[in-house]
Amino acid sequence: MTAPAPHSPALEISCTTCGALVVVEEDLRTVECPYCASPHVVERPPQAGRPDPVFVLAFTLDREAATSIVNSWIKSRGPFVKSGLKEGVLERTRGVYLPSYLYGARAHANYTAKIGEDYTVTVTYTTTDSKGRTVTRTRTETRTEWRDLAGRYECYVTDTLVTASKGIGNAELESVEPFDLRALRRYSPDLLAGWIAEEPSLAADECRRTAQSEMRESIGQDLAAFMPGDSSSNIRANVTFSEEVSHLVLLPVWVFALRYGEDEDPIRIVINGQNGQVGGRLPLSWAKIGGTVLFSLLALAAIFVIAGLLS
Amino acid sequence: MSEVTCNRCESPLEAGDLRCAVCGDVPEQLVPQVVGTGLEQTVLRCGQCGAATRYDARSESVRCSFCSGELKPEELTDPVEQTEAYLPFTVDRDGARSALRSWLGNLGFFRPSDLKSAARIEDLRPLWWAGWVFDAHARVSWTADSNAGAGSSDWAPHSGQTDMVFDDVLISASRGLSDEEAYALSASYSLGSALPELEAPPADATLEAFDVQRSQARERITHGIRRAAASRLQEGHIPGSRFRNIHVRALLTGLDTRRMSFPTWVMAYRYEHKLFRVVISGQDAQVLMGKAPISWAKILMIVAGVIITGLALGLLAVLFA
Ligand SMILES: [Zn+2]
Ligand SMILES: [Zn+2]
Ligand SMILES: [Zn+2]
Repeated sequence: MTAPAPHSPALEISCTTCGALVVVEEDLRTVECPYCASPHVVERPPQAGRPDPVFVLAFTLDREAATSIVNSWIKSRGPFVKSGLKEGVLERTRGVYLPSYLYGARAHANYTAKIGEDYTVTVTYTTTDSKGRTVTRTRTETRTEWRDLAGRYECYVTDTLVTASKGIGNAELESVEPFDLRALRRYSPDLLAGWIAEEPSLAADECRRTAQSEMRESIGQDLAAFMPGDSSSNIRANVTFSEEVSHLVLLPVWVFALRYGEDEDPIRIVINGQNGQVGGRLPLSWAKIGGTVLFSLLALAAIFVIAGLLS
Repeated sequence: MSEVTCNRCESPLEAGDLRCAVCGDVPEQLVPQVVGTGLEQTVLRCGQCGAATRYDARSESVRCSFCSGELKPEELTDPVEQTEAYLPFTVDRDGARSALRSWLGNLGFFRPSDLKSAARIEDLRPLWWAGWVFDAHARVSWTADSNAGAGSSDWAPHSGQTDMVFDDVLISASRGLSDEEAYALSASYSLGSALPELEAPPADATLEAFDVQRSQARERITHGIRRAAASRLQEGHIPGSRFRNIHVRALLTGLDTRRMSFPTWVMAYRYEHKLFRVVISGQDAQVLMGKAPISWAKILMIVAGVIITGLALGLLAVLFA
């Protein structure tokens, strides 16, 4: 059973300030009147598969602050990024409220693992001493005894965020996490005024699967920390979820397009609008890396040749 | 205390909470009702001049660029917590003094003989220290190493799951007391005696504030619950008699936390030229924790005695061999 992806069609509204007809693009919740610049927040009637936002994490970085963070981030990249990137131009800077689901569930895991318990033994060995005589010596060695462990584990998983937007994928969202969820506010259109806010455009089922795999990953990490012994290996867990809850949250992200060459597509850079974390990486230049490697090899060869001539 | 309870884990929510701190759910009552049935269209307007306004990230408020009017959105709540109840002192100043004296007199042989008579009380102050008291049901998943079933190593791994009920468990929020001191005192209090306010606290009393924010408080409570569960696990749940690496995950339901202030006497006494600190429960003078000097002269004497006896025995053995 797969529900269709929600779709919020384009709308036409009339501006309450100047009366002009204004088009609200599809999958957007906000629009600025092109004639009088009034910022509108538009709430469409309820629709199956497209829940209303429950929370907003408001922007705390304005355009200026976000731009300066991105600029110094670009400057601080290594020497092997593609030519022109560091001199690139930031275009189409947009502050976007990204719809995402805040997931939680009760997790149950049946796990098995090998637990290593260390012990020391005294080992006798023979060797030859400095005078060439055969002697017997002892040393202590640490050994590990591997034991099987099986058990059951239950906990609440909270605070799992997954994107609900086709525009910004989950990997891109993860690259700017974490967000400080203590600053969550109840949804109110006031917080959106003057910004771009998207409507969810991914099907809830798909988001749920992404959330479950993210939660499985975090449980895997916690299980590794939960194991006793001096070491552990082969941790296998059968994880199931119950009492799942999800709420739609609007997250603040700044999106930049970095244009750096005539015939290159601009590169998208996303930053966390709450704490300024920059996501992603700039593409590397294989020509530069290859050139450096080649140069090093030539230099090395030259040294060998010179050394050979001198000897 | 709170009117809203989480539907999912039955924990009461604190005023101002948007989600359940235990399980992350949002109670139905707190979900904002966004839209009606039709299309809603909002332009936010300045209350003073009527101009269209925007949310400003720098000031985290809605600002009017024409008249510089400002509209603060709903405040974020991560308040510094306040105490809800005080427990009264039932041990008075004299009671605390005589409890200290009799403790000093009963510390045992290795203390200086004149400790009780020569110690001078230099400071004696009432302190209400801050702590959380919680009730909860917990499904505790655990793992640990113990000596039970050990093979070549001294340790063998164990795991289990058990349901626990916690009633009136005290977790320190105190800065004035160490964790050990707070733990030592915690069993001496009668929670039923709590009063919502103090009538006339003594002038030299310190009323400790909960100087942590709610979000931090929750981390410490979670930590405290794990600790309480770990210590209970060692009383019969984990097989064996020696334990290490106890790991606890607690799935809580009905977590109810109260913030209380607990009376204690904090004393400092001087012996020779050093100061020693002692804390005494304000509700039970027998419950006391502190430091005291050791008599090195006596310890030396015993050590010397043991060595001399050993030598003498050795000598006798040699003579009679
Ligand atoms: Zn207009
Ligand atoms: Zn809950
Ligand atoms: Zn105004």
